[in-house]
Amino acid sequence: MKEIAIDLGIPHHDLVSCVSCGLCLPHCPTYRVTQEESASPRGRIALMKHAESSGFIDQEFVGFMDACIQCRGCETACPAGVEFGSMMEATREALATQTSYQPWWRRLGYRTLGRPTVLAFASRVLSLLQRIKVVPKKLGLPQIPIIQRRLLASGTDVWLFTGCIMDAWMRDTHRAVQRVVEATGAGVQFPNKAAACCGALHVHAGLGDEARILAEKTMTAFPGSAPILVDSAGCGAQLKDYGHLLGTELAEKFSRRVFDVHEWLAERLDKLPKSQEPRGRVAVQDPCHLRHVQKSHQAVYQVLAHFTEPLGLDDEGLCCGAGGAYSAFHQETASQVRDRKIESIKRAGAPEVASANPGCLLHLRSAGVEVRHPLEIIDSIMTKDG
Amino acid sequence: MQISPDGNLLDDLRSVLGDRVRDGDFELGLYGKDGSVLEGRPSLVCLPVNTDEVRQIVKICREHDRPFLARGSGTGLAGGAVPVGDPVIIATAKMNQILEVDLENRIAWVEPGVLNLDLTKELTPQGFHFAPDPSSQQVCSIGGNVANNSGGPHCLAYGVTSAHVAAIEVVLPDGSVTLLGDLAAEPPGYDLRGLFVGSEGTMGVATKVAVRLTPNPPAVRTLLLDFPDVRDGAATVSAIIAAGLIPAALEMMDKRAIEIVEAFVNAGYPTEADAVLLVELDGLPGGVEHGVEVVRSVAERHQVGNIRVAADNEERELLWKGRKNAFGAVARIKPDYYLHDTVVPRGKLVEVLEKVYKIADAYDLIAVNVFHAGDGNLHPILAYDSDEKGVLERVHAAGRAIVTASIEAGGVLSGEHGIGLEKRDYMGMLFSAHDMATQDLVREAFDPEGFANPLKVLPSGSRCSDSFGQHVPDGAWV
Amino acid sequence: MGVNPLGAAPQEVHQFSEEVGASDPVTVVGGKTQWNVGGAPDHSAREVTAPTGIWSHEPEEMTVRCGAGTTLLELSEQLARHSQMVPFDMAPNATVGGVLSVGRSGIRRLRYGHIRDLVLQIRHIDCNGKIVTSGGPTVKNVSGYDLCRLMVGSLGKLGCLAEVTLRCLPMPETTRWLTGNDDPFEIYARLYRPSSVLWNGEQVWVCLEGVSSDVEAEAALLDLTETEGPPQLPGDGRSSVQPKELRSLSADDTNWIAEIGVGIIHSDKPSKPQQVSKTNESLMRELERRLDPNGRLNPGRQVVPL
Repeated sequence: MKEIAIDLGIPHHDLVSCVSCGLCLPHCPTYRVTQEESASPRGRIALMKHAESSGFIDQEFVGFMDACIQCRGCETACPAGVEFGSMMEATREALATQTSYQPWWRRLGYRTLGRPTVLAFASRVLSLLQRIKVVPKKLGLPQIPIIQRRLLASGTDVWLFTGCIMDAWMRDTHRAVQRVVEATGAGVQFPNKAAACCGALHVHAGLGDEARILAEKTMTAFPGSAPILVDSAGCGAQLKDYGHLLGTELAEKFSRRVFDVHEWLAERLDKLPKSQEPRGRVAVQDPCHLRHVQKSHQAVYQVLAHFTEPLGLDDEGLCCGAGGAYSAFHQETASQVRDRKIESIKRAGAPEVASANPGCLLHLRSAGVEVRHPLEIIDSIMTKDG
Repeated sequence: MQISPDGNLLDDLRSVLGDRVRDGDFELGLYGKDGSVLEGRPSLVCLPVNTDEVRQIVKICREHDRPFLARGSGTGLAGGAVPVGDPVIIATAKMNQILEVDLENRIAWVEPGVLNLDLTKELTPQGFHFAPDPSSQQVCSIGGNVANNSGGPHCLAYGVTSAHVAAIEVVLPDGSVTLLGDLAAEPPGYDLRGLFVGSEGTMGVATKVAVRLTPNPPAVRTLLLDFPDVRDGAATVSAIIAAGLIPAALEMMDKRAIEIVEAFVNAGYPTEADAVLLVELDGLPGGVEHGVEVVRSVAERHQVGNIRVAADNEERELLWKGRKNAFGAVARIKPDYYLHDTVVPRGKLVEVLEKVYKIADAYDLIAVNVFHAGDGNLHPILAYDSDEKGVLERVHAAGRAIVTASIEAGGVLSGEHGIGLEKRDYMGMLFSAHDMATQDLVREAFDPEGFANPLKVLPSGSRCSDSFGQHVPDGAWV
Repeated sequence: MGVNPLGAAPQEVHQFSEEVGASDPVTVVGGKTQWNVGGAPDHSAREVTAPTGIWSHEPEEMTVRCGAGTTLLELSEQLARHSQMVPFDMAPNATVGGVLSVGRSGIRRLRYGHIRDLVLQIRHIDCNGKIVTSGGPTVKNVSGYDLCRLMVGSLGKLGCLAEVTLRCLPMPETTRWLTGNDDPFEIYARLYRPSSVLWNGEQVWVCLEGVSSDVEAEAALLDLTETEGPPQLPGDGRSSVQPKELRSLSADDTNWIAEIGVGIIHSDKPSKPQQVSKTNESLMRELERRLDPNGRLNPGRQVVPL
């Protein structure tokens, strides 16, 4: 196989922090469905070590690295505190900059995310195609409106981050979130177009430079010191990581202002109306970027428990397979991973399913699972309760 | 050294397994390691999905005069799954189906790649579990448990894997398939099943296992006791057993282990204590409460600090999480660790523990102790940084000293990790040359030419036929 | 060389090894309580007896080391002094070595498991008259091949048991036997780890052990009456099936008692020899051939049915 020279640039200390005990294996979604060492966190770190020590990789190596969903479930499981996520991000960036890992068409797709006008246009085309019923249902796309109604600010107490795909396709979720936040008495404002995309998918893809540009732009859209609330677990994790990504004091400061909307609400439950009995049961799918990265998934349960009876799944936060763009590029693995999640959801036996991340929502919906954002569920309860 | 696999061997295996034979440079490296610090390199990796594929792999290996090595989850700590002698790896991870749960016989038929904890999770709603529960329970495979006769904290009361395996379907080293043991109570003939369990893959490849199901106890109590002096903790262990109580588990952690574990789980372990005991009692409620009282009164006679009783299952799981993740958590103080496994008489725990600390000091290493105190099974962890010059030599010398001290105290080489590659050259500390030659005769009845996991368990000298003895890989320090 | 090769073998074991010697057929005699299992030994074989005596009992270690010729009576008396036991449940004049060589479990196997799981270390004399040690003296051990389990049930054909180290158990505070006419399978399903459930097709006997409050609570779940102890087991006949196959047993002209949950049937009809697969038979013959090439150990007895 053709050898390609590479320098992953991962600190030696990080690479040797893995003692290959294997405790990560059952918590890795790709190992779970393949049972192959090369698809496990322990295996991937060993591969990185091999690449670093030899200075060469081959195409097989690229495939192994590309197969990681980057859910970071292994980090939660790792008793040694190995920072797998940052090693994988470094590897992806090295691949993207030193090899032909990301072809032009993928790069083009990622670039679209940061261009609201292009994205809006593409979304409108998609919407029209939906109207004439040529978009397969199994893609699980929400009904995309032809005309997007604008989000209207109600004050300056908090920012609500809107993002790219979520804003283009699921703006109604933002509206629901806005209503719940407003119910606490806070006024909500929205960023301008500079905050077009958080850049999470770009980091996943190894497009570090693009991600850093998006981050710099995004930060300019949130002047002042009001908290920045995020209703997408993936975006929230990324915004919280700007300090690390950009390495500036300004970015650190920005990141400290970022909260997952549930974290923020969990501190203000007393300000929300009391719900009527009986409470419905809701199975909660923990998005990886909330549970394993932000480590704030408990807030979702706290907020839901104010109105419903939330039920955790029995899979210890194993990924659902969405992984941002992963489900598009690795359909087979992603759907196998999802099958496990669906089984777990079924075992929970609740009539309603919640997920606090748009990627997970879309991925699960495309398998026919009725799943809503936790705050959409709460919003409809509040609306019904009047 | 780059090993170029025999082209025909690869083709023949591909004709059976298709793309489930791996020969890529990067991928082969992944199957050269297990949970130990040893490392080797396989010639090829096969990922079969059923017994017949395993049988054909073994046959093909034989035709090409190649040894083979069955691998489960690769979490072993004695290098049992580390390839020596260029074997073909038979990774059973894809054979991971629970084939049948037979509640009437209280048996489950499982494939070897089923993970220990997955099996227990599947059984729990039906009121049963699989009793052996090694610390690696969440990831270790049943096939690996069979190979190593695995233990775990709860083996104090329930016994090790051998007591929980009724029958095993095995592909023998000559490629024939047979069933060792039976679901019937007393299978005729010699206990080949008992012999196979713990033979570390040197007698064939397990392809199906009938495990016994243990009923879930109606009552469980988990206690955390802290002691200002590790000696009092150890004395409490002996006194509990001497009082006629066999807890479901009786685990001990020393000061350093408490600190490390607490940093990871935040379970409220008392970091100011010199040692803690984690005691679990299970069974019928009366016996459990009686046990709690015995533990309490014994501990109070031995200067116990606090006695914390887990209030609910959540707290119990948290306490156990600390214990079960302790080894990996050691990496928080040093990037590398070497985990030992010896057994000493319970009465000698303190004496040997003190020697362990002295040995670690003498070799300028950090010793952390987390272990199954109830059955005297010590697990001294030596933490180190492999970047330090000459540190490995010190680690190995200290390891040898610990093993020596354990055996001098009337103990044995390994309580549950097995001999593998790590301790095969220590076997002579425990057994005479004639003892080992006898063991080898027994092994040879299954595998006269030494095709199955060659060069493990017994030192090369004791072997009558060492056909693959020429090549010990880099990094292996046997 | 060895730091401490499992403690030196005592003088008695050395004497026994000389007695066994390296030539001519020998047969080991114990209490002759299960003498006919596997067939009678050849007349030509010289009778030898294993050493007797309890050589160490460390109550806090819960282990006991004794000569294989020690009777169960002597063993249980010693252990009882410290409220301990080894649940062999065989005739008191049987020897430890004899019980292990025959390898049949006692009637409380349901709770305590097979007797082979209680063996920690064995010293045997091999066909060359040499002492072989396997296993280890501690309660947990995976050092080397598990010859101990292989020796249990080998009728002395792979070696003559000389010394045995066993794991002891605490004696239960209370032991109660109950009897009645309820469905034994239902009883077994309802109880948490009973020590024994016996059934003869009509009558059931249940053994409950533990602290008295538990035994009482479990007994209260059942509609049974107190009885002295287990019934007299019929004759020499013994067969084994899967536990669930016991359901298909019916009261016929033979007298039988089955161990529910275990799968052993005691009956007064002589047991039929069980079949061993061709592959397993050849493995077993290989073991015999390698460990006793001239067949001098306990000739005439058959572990592997012919």
